[in-house]
Amino acid sequence: MKVKGETLLWVTQRASAAVLALCVVVHLATLVYAVQGGLTAVEILARTRGSVAWLAFYAVFVLAIALHVPIGLRAVLNERAGWRGASRDWVLLGFGVLLACAGMRAVLAVYL
Amino acid sequence: MKNLALVHRLSGIALALFLPLHFWALGQALEGEAKLESFLRWSEQPLVKLGEWTIVLLLAVHLTGGVRILMIEFLPWRDWQKTLAAVAAATALAIGLLFALSSSAYAQAWPQKPVRFIVPFPPGGATDISARLLAQKLQEIWGQTVVIENRGGAGGGVGAAEAARAAPDGYTLFFPSGSVVTANQHIYAKTNYDPEKDFVPVTNVVSGPQVLTVPADSPYKSVKELLDSGRANPGKLYFGHAGIGSQTHLAAENFVFQGKLDAVSVPYQGEGPGLAALVGSQTHFFVGNLAASIGHIKGGRLRALGVTSKTETPQLPGVPPIANTIPGFENLGWFGIVAPRGTPKEVIQKVYQDTRRALQDAVLKEKLFAQGLAPVGNSPDEMGRAMKAETELWKNVVRARKIEVK
Repeated sequence: MKVKGETLLWVTQRASAAVLALCVVVHLATLVYAVQGGLTAVEILARTRGSVAWLAFYAVFVLAIALHVPIGLRAVLNERAGWRGASRDWVLLGFGVLLACAGMRAVLAVYL
Repeated sequence: MKNLALVHRLSGIALALFLPLHFWALGQALEGEAKLESFLRWSEQPLVKLGEWTIVLLLAVHLTGGVRILMIEFLPWRDWQKTLAAVAAATALAIGLLFALSSSAYAQAWPQKPVRFIVPFPPGGATDISARLLAQKLQEIWGQTVVIENRGGAGGGVGAAEAARAAPDGYTLFFPSGSVVTANQHIYAKTNYDPEKDFVPVTNVVSGPQVLTVPADSPYKSVKELLDSGRANPGKLYFGHAGIGSQTHLAAENFVFQGKLDAVSVPYQGEGPGLAALVGSQTHFFVGNLAASIGHIKGGRLRALGVTSKTETPQLPGVPPIANTIPGFENLGWFGIVAPRGTPKEVIQKVYQDTRRALQDAVLKEKLFAQGLAPVGNSPDEMGRAMKAETELWKNVVRARKIEVK
């Protein structure tokens, strides 16, 4: 891959990491609030369903994961397994799409 | 530092493998309430819990490495400062997650021995019946015996005082009717408990209408006939109840007040004894909970004249609402769980959540329905707000009716 492409992946990896760090903190705070407040899973869902803000938050969370994980695995496969080339990138793209689809399915279930 | 990078990579791989499974399971579980319930039950298994804690550990480790990498690349700090900051960030995350998860872990360990429900009325009343029906199901869920201890007297005050002084360890819970914790403090000049200071709400278990009954051989065939007779003969009608300040007392007082009667209140040690006295024609009428009255009605020992809900109740078809005779009349009773103040929050959450789960059981629902009761299962916060509002309501009613015990 060209230097420009590698740079883009590097930036995406770091940016998604920063987004994930923030998302984890918000997710964690929500979890603690809900558990300590005595909300059941059904009650939590009653609050998230129909909320565009939660939809947007978890969509960003999932998309950041779908970007961060394949790029991270790409570096690991490169360094540890010596797997390079288009085949690796296609497999990782597929994995990213799988993560995005499965994650968005869960996000939509939280929203709808 | 090299090791940290390696651990970051390895934890990343493990998390990457876990994530699709996590998303898939979440997507499945969120498809409906039934699936969510079964998912939550599955997630309580020890092996799943172990997996959960492993993921927390991996996440903390991965974050430590990640934060450190970001700082190496973007911050002009010294090495030890970066490591320290990364470890601090990861520790904060781990503590937060463990704090959230520990609630369920703590609650899972409870109960380790039999749980005591103090019921402030003798056996046979609606409070007792509700508590026993719920206890049967909770025993299955907890794998521990739930002992019902009936402590009648002083309109529920005797049991309330004992529960208030019980060790707040979750093994003694109080199962009162609503009035014991919302009205008694206004009626009794002195009580040995303070509902607000001594108890914390757990959940309202069931609620239901009450029914106005007379003995089977009573001359009164309708609410109107009873009212006409009472109005024509002031002070000659006697009504029984479960004790001063009990739910049945307040319901009857409400009926007497709104029906513009002059009737005499006769307190008993509980709803069971009060209804038994009515069966023996020692009193003229009783406004009892459906749970306690329905057996006598169906057994032909008592005649139902009217129900306190605004519409007919399915358990007593053909019995008209009292509101048909006294427009706007309505009086609903409820029975719930409160815990001695100081009871661990985790236990309160577990009792509440397990009660909710118990109330979803079809067999229990059917049994409650047969007793004229509907499941509620609201959250501790919701119950607290409802109790506060009801306390204000009874304060006003008690003042207006001058109901007091010195």
